[in-house]
Amino acid sequence: MKGKQLLLVFIKEHKWSYIFGIFILLSTTLVNMTIPKILGEITDGLNSRNMLQEQVVKYVLLLLGVVFAVFVLKLIWRYLLIGNCRSLEVYLRDHLFKHMQTLPVSFYSNNRTGNLVAYAINDVQAVRMTFGFGSVNILDGIAATFISIFFMAGTINPVLTAMALAPVPVAVFVMVMIGRLIRDRFRKVQEAFAAISEKVQENISGIRVIKAFAQEKEEVDNFLKYSKRRVDTQMDLTRISALLGPCAQVCFGISFLLFIVYGSAQVIKGTITLGDYVAFNSYMMAIMGPVMNISRIIDVLQRGIASFRRLNEIFDTPAGIAQSEGEQDISGIYGGLEIRNLNFTYPGASRRALKNINIKLDSGKTLGILGKTGSGKTTLVNLLLRLYDVDDGHILIDGSDINSIPVDLLRESIGYVPQDNFLFSTTIRDNIEFFKNLYSDYEIEQAARISGVYDNIISFPEGFDTVVGERGVTLSGGQKQRISIARALVKKPSLFILDDSLSAVDTKTEEEILANIREHLKKRTGIIISHRVSTVKFADEIIVMDNGKIAERGSHEELLRLEGAYFSLYRAQNQQEAGA
Amino acid sequence: MRADAMHDEFVLQKRKFKFLRLMAYFKPFIPLLVLSVALALLVNAAILAKPYIIKLVIDDYIVAGNYDMGSIWLLGLLYFLMVLMGSVLGYMQTNILTYVGQKIMFNIRNQIFEHIQKMSMNFFDKNSTGRILIRVTTDVEALNELFSGVMVDLIRNFIMLAGIVIMIFTLDVRLAFVSISCVPIIAGIMVVYRIAARKNLIRMKGLLAKINGFLAENISGMKLVQIFNREKEKYEELRKLDGEYFKCSLREVILNSFSKPVVEIVNNLTIAVLVIFCMGRILEGSLEIGVLFAFIAYIKQFFEPISEISEKYTAIQSAIVSSERIFDILDKRDTQEDMMGGKPAGRLKGAIRFENVWFAYENEAWVLKDVSFSISPGETAAFVGATGSGKTTIISLIMRFYDIQKGRILIDGQDIREYRLEDLRKQITVVLQDVFLFAGDIKSNIRLNNSITDDEIECAARYVSADSFIESLPGKYDEEVKERGCTFSAGQKQLISFVRAVAFNPAVLVLDEATASIDTSTEQAIREAMSKISRNRTSIIIAHRLSTIRSADKILVMHKGRIRETGNHDELMALGGIYCRLCKAQTEGGDLPRIQQ
Repeated sequence: MKGKQLLLVFIKEHKWSYIFGIFILLSTTLVNMTIPKILGEITDGLNSRNMLQEQVVKYVLLLLGVVFAVFVLKLIWRYLLIGNCRSLEVYLRDHLFKHMQTLPVSFYSNNRTGNLVAYAINDVQAVRMTFGFGSVNILDGIAATFISIFFMAGTINPVLTAMALAPVPVAVFVMVMIGRLIRDRFRKVQEAFAAISEKVQENISGIRVIKAFAQEKEEVDNFLKYSKRRVDTQMDLTRISALLGPCAQVCFGISFLLFIVYGSAQVIKGTITLGDYVAFNSYMMAIMGPVMNISRIIDVLQRGIASFRRLNEIFDTPAGIAQSEGEQDISGIYGGLEIRNLNFTYPGASRRALKNINIKLDSGKTLGILGKTGSGKTTLVNLLLRLYDVDDGHILIDGSDINSIPVDLLRESIGYVPQDNFLFSTTIRDNIEFFKNLYSDYEIEQAARISGVYDNIISFPEGFDTVVGERGVTLSGGQKQRISIARALVKKPSLFILDDSLSAVDTKTEEEILANIREHLKKRTGIIISHRVSTVKFADEIIVMDNGKIAERGSHEELLRLEGAYFSLYRAQNQQEAGA
Repeated sequence: MRADAMHDEFVLQKRKFKFLRLMAYFKPFIPLLVLSVALALLVNAAILAKPYIIKLVIDDYIVAGNYDMGSIWLLGLLYFLMVLMGSVLGYMQTNILTYVGQKIMFNIRNQIFEHIQKMSMNFFDKNSTGRILIRVTTDVEALNELFSGVMVDLIRNFIMLAGIVIMIFTLDVRLAFVSISCVPIIAGIMVVYRIAARKNLIRMKGLLAKINGFLAENISGMKLVQIFNREKEKYEELRKLDGEYFKCSLREVILNSFSKPVVEIVNNLTIAVLVIFCMGRILEGSLEIGVLFAFIAYIKQFFEPISEISEKYTAIQSAIVSSERIFDILDKRDTQEDMMGGKPAGRLKGAIRFENVWFAYENEAWVLKDVSFSISPGETAAFVGATGSGKTTIISLIMRFYDIQKGRILIDGQDIREYRLEDLRKQITVVLQDVFLFAGDIKSNIRLNNSITDDEIECAARYVSADSFIESLPGKYDEEVKERGCTFSAGQKQLISFVRAVAFNPAVLVLDEATASIDTSTEQAIREAMSKISRNRTSIIIAHRLSTIRSADKILVMHKGRIRETGNHDELMALGGIYCRLCKAQTEGGDLPRIQQ
């Protein structure tokens, strides 16, 4: 769903609270604006000395009544309108995340995690501010201004009103102009701050290099520049932002001057009363507030709009795979795989990542894929996992087109071990069963045993309940890889895919794990990807990929006899290890 | 109980001390601060004069029916003058205080950064990058809030309060007492509200941090979640977090809805009481009506400073917490390295000798146990051993990243601790296995702030055959290096770090061979470069592949923190020990890439 539609749906859902809230907001402003009038009446009464004390008390009680009414009304509209926008914040974030979950892998390689988190937190909050603070203040400001002008001109004196308000447009203009400058300079302050952050982060991450080359002094000198920039940008900002208040004050100062001179004359002449005079003063104050707030409101609105645009870009990013059409009713997957004339180009790329791939793998067999980085190994796996849609050629699983198999079923049936061993910062158990309580303790332990990580796990005091990651135990790369393998094994998948996942374990362990997996794979279809011959050589069929194409195929012995790429790779790796 | 009380006392004293220490940063700026207080006095005087001027207009001219337009004009202009004066002086005061705040920040920030640069590796092992980052950035900014925001407003507001009190008491003592009586009510409401709001705010921030963490982790691991088909579970997890956050958020809205309006109610209540209290006197003519007007105006201004002061409370709290964290780091002097102390090293020859070295990163968990060896100038020595056998630790010790607990490390016959640290490190160059590149360009990554000419850089690049790869880049030597060199492959980064090593022309070169999988053609280039740069100088290679080190003058086989075998390839093969077994295993297995445990 697109961003705008999401907003419309939200507003429709909260239609009544919005209508009611805005109505109450406007009434509050109206009621609030009677206070100067009441004080004016009291002043007149006291001034002319013709009012009885009881009458004054009555007015005072009326004043208190109005004040209390304003309090209650304000509470109600704030609860309705501001409460709504708090709910909008959560609503937008939930939907954003839900949408992100459908986005393809390429989206995540093009966008930095930090930025995406910022979208979901800061930008969502900026939109909330626009809907809350921004729109409420606009409504309130406009209402207060018009009601004040109505009272001033309608019940007190139109000429005085016109005179007093003459400088106001100037004030508004100045506020808007200064506001624009402030925004530019504020951005520079933020950039200076971000630059400091980046500098420090880089410095600390590279501290070994800095120390090794004794660059500390130079780094400090370098840092001074960034630090100085922060001071300069802030001063630039302050020089302008500190003008905001004084400028408005001076503009209104002229209004007050005119009010004092002309207004006083009118009272003395008897055209208006002293109470009107006092009330007029209050109304001018009431207009001053919104005018001085203008630049802040514009700022909030602009930020909200910019943020919403960014969010919309994400909402507009199409999901990674089209919703399956003509899904077949398939109850299980057995792991027979056939790939026919498969071509694939990444969205937005010009070069084909896979060219004319044909593979037939019977259920229970193992396929080895060998190739350099960028040869298309991982792309092939991405397609098998249906992280991307296949439109040129066919992938058939148990004879049915992959596009007709429900995605959940497909992915549930594949046990995938990724290249990068990513673990969540939760317990090891959670990482293996992966956030769904599906497996018994025995199954989890068994998976850990096959992947050769069981002994490591039970050596931790908390065993399988050990929390890993930042707030817990730090695991070695090899331990992480083996937990990733256990995570794939515990599913008892029909198709097991090992994507170059044994690089961080030592050779002896690698052999053990491979032996275990081989045993395990007897009943299952397996795909083992590597850039090393030793890892794939036991496979039933091995394909060598080069530049998106299958360059060679056959069993280990057949490929050696071929004396092609496989053979030379075998020899190169042999020599490398044995020492040429 | 007593112990608790004593402890509290101690904490309080510590706090007081920290506060005084913070204040010490103000010292160079005392003249500016005095000026700004003087300005604040004038600004407040101008603000307070305004209602009084209108009071004069009302009482002396309007009520009295005194149609003296000249005087009214004069008062009007005086009013405008007050506005003008308040604005100009206020502007100046804000600028001065911002300047002082920024300068103090500048000093503190640089002080911490410089301090951190001098920390030993131990410190960086124990503190995560994120944590240190926050000290230099967020914590300093929190102090900024204290210096430029809070101090300014606090001074201004207190002066304002004092000014209002003085004004109302001069106008009418009895009415002043009536108005002041509402202060305890306001203060009480403020305190209750602040406590509730703070508690809620802390919870809210905690939840937001959790949501932040959740998103960061789940976006990084999104592919995995998709592949394992756990989108629904993860979505539900976020919704739960967001639900809790919403509850806090709504509570904040309600709390905020109470705070200001309640103050307004009390404010108006005071006005009502004032009116009732003085109506008798006005009606009987013993009190001027303008006084009532002025009182109402002052009372309205009275509450602003109070509510602002209470708003600053949170900022002060978080600034104090930040300052404690900053001082904690600044007080860690024991782990500081003294870069300039010790003897100047001159040009080292590169003889390295370990004598019965024992070393542990922590306590008695010995990583190196009684290690002794010596490497002559110009020799190439290779260390072989499984991960965790202590190879990498040896490099760190030669660089003196850590000090050893027992034994001696000698370079050119002199204890490593006697050398000036800077000289020592400048003459030993390490090429680490995961190469770190700084944002900038290729040149700046090679010369690293030192005066190395472009020619020297290109020469070094040719020497290790990195020139063809660098020159194939669109910007050549000026090609931009992004954050951590993410646009380069591991092999390319390795080559750049070789150029860096050669350009520095060190006496001792330490190579930590890369374990990462690099494609075969780059690997060939890297191996050639390695053999070239180790020529004519003492070189130490931490080997992960045996093929690289066959020609080394000396091979040291490490196992569990001890040196088990020493000799060249042929000697060690003849010995028939660990090394021999390793080599045989590789020949038989054909393609075992790494060394067995």
